[in-house]
Amino acid sequence: MEITVQVRSRSDLTAPTTPVGAGPTTSARDREDPERIEEEAGRTSAISEIAEGAPWNAVEEAMLRRRSIRKYKRKQVPAHLIRRILEMGRYAPSQGNCQPWKFVVVRDAAMIQEMEEFCVAACRKLSTALDYAAYRKGTRAYFVARAKAKLFSRLQPNMLHPVPVSAVTAIAQGRFAVFHRAPTVILLLMDTRGIGTPEIDIGICGTNIVLAAQSLGLGTCWIGFSSFLNRSPEWRARLGAEKPYKIVEAITVGYPIGDPSRLIARETHEIAWFEDGRKEILY
Amino acid sequence: MTSVITRAERWNFPDWGDPAECQFHRVSVDLELCDGCKLCTIICPANVLELYEVQEKKKVRVKDDHRGCVSCNNCHAICANGAIAASRHYDFIGYYRQLGRGEFSMPRRF
Repeated sequence: MEITVQVRSRSDLTAPTTPVGAGPTTSARDREDPERIEEEAGRTSAISEIAEGAPWNAVEEAMLRRRSIRKYKRKQVPAHLIRRILEMGRYAPSQGNCQPWKFVVVRDAAMIQEMEEFCVAACRKLSTALDYAAYRKGTRAYFVARAKAKLFSRLQPNMLHPVPVSAVTAIAQGRFAVFHRAPTVILLLMDTRGIGTPEIDIGICGTNIVLAAQSLGLGTCWIGFSSFLNRSPEWRARLGAEKPYKIVEAITVGYPIGDPSRLIARETHEIAWFEDGRKEILY
Repeated sequence: MTSVITRAERWNFPDWGDPAECQFHRVSVDLELCDGCKLCTIICPANVLELYEVQEKKKVRVKDDHRGCVSCNNCHAICANGAIAASRHYDFIGYYRQLGRGEFSMPRRF
């Protein structure tokens, strides 16, 4: 096979020589004005003017009406729709285009139930060991668990946040589920050799999947507790999550119970805005 | 470099069972609008809602132990009448103190 390399000018081949301390130099390519080039090519991209207060478009609608769905109808989602939303994950941006994901789709109710039982058992162990709030105050078990929890909190402050801890206890007590009896579970595996921070890429990939699902009338929920499955070499082998792969997240997919489409209020967040040499704080 | 949270806060982990240290918001219910359809009690991720009877009519209320409510407002999203809503986020003392949060607001069309 013949490979041709097009060289536009000699400056593309020879690196500019930079005298020490001369500051940054720009290559010939950088000095060219991109806007002039697109004009010359007659292929100027359009700028669509969106008026202030314009109605939400379809993507915005999907973002605003997406809720984490934890109660599903029994009806299975057609396979082609799962393929369709995974396709959106495939086109997610990633660092250096490294695409550090691997998808595992589980649609076998018995297998999902087995995964559920494994994660519930892990939650029971964790809750018994650490959640002192689940014990009666003043008992020995309360003090032992509390002392351990306070120490581990310093070491694992993200995991031992009060919110997931109360969820772990709710799962242990059977008041909450891990995979929510969803008809389809998509496990997001990460190639731990990914560039930079591959966890971020998994998050972006999953967001594509979740928003695509929302736009197709499907309900989804992120399942972080799915990572308990990493503790079992058997599960890792069965799911193809052996090294260098790791189960990072799962997304349950199904048809939501009820109609959870009403828009909701949320708190605003501080925005630091730098412009015209000033800084403003917006919300 | 300075820190927004103090050294004392960094070492202060709230007591999980103490409502003064772990402040979970209590969603409010408009009894006029609630028709007792039960959907919100089913979908609530923290399982903190229950039905009770007011003058022989079923209404929803927040359980006394409402630890775990994350103000997700899924109850509001599923309510046909808009009878239930969270209007404040959870907050904790010490290490997990919330930073840089404003008031609750519906999506704003800028």
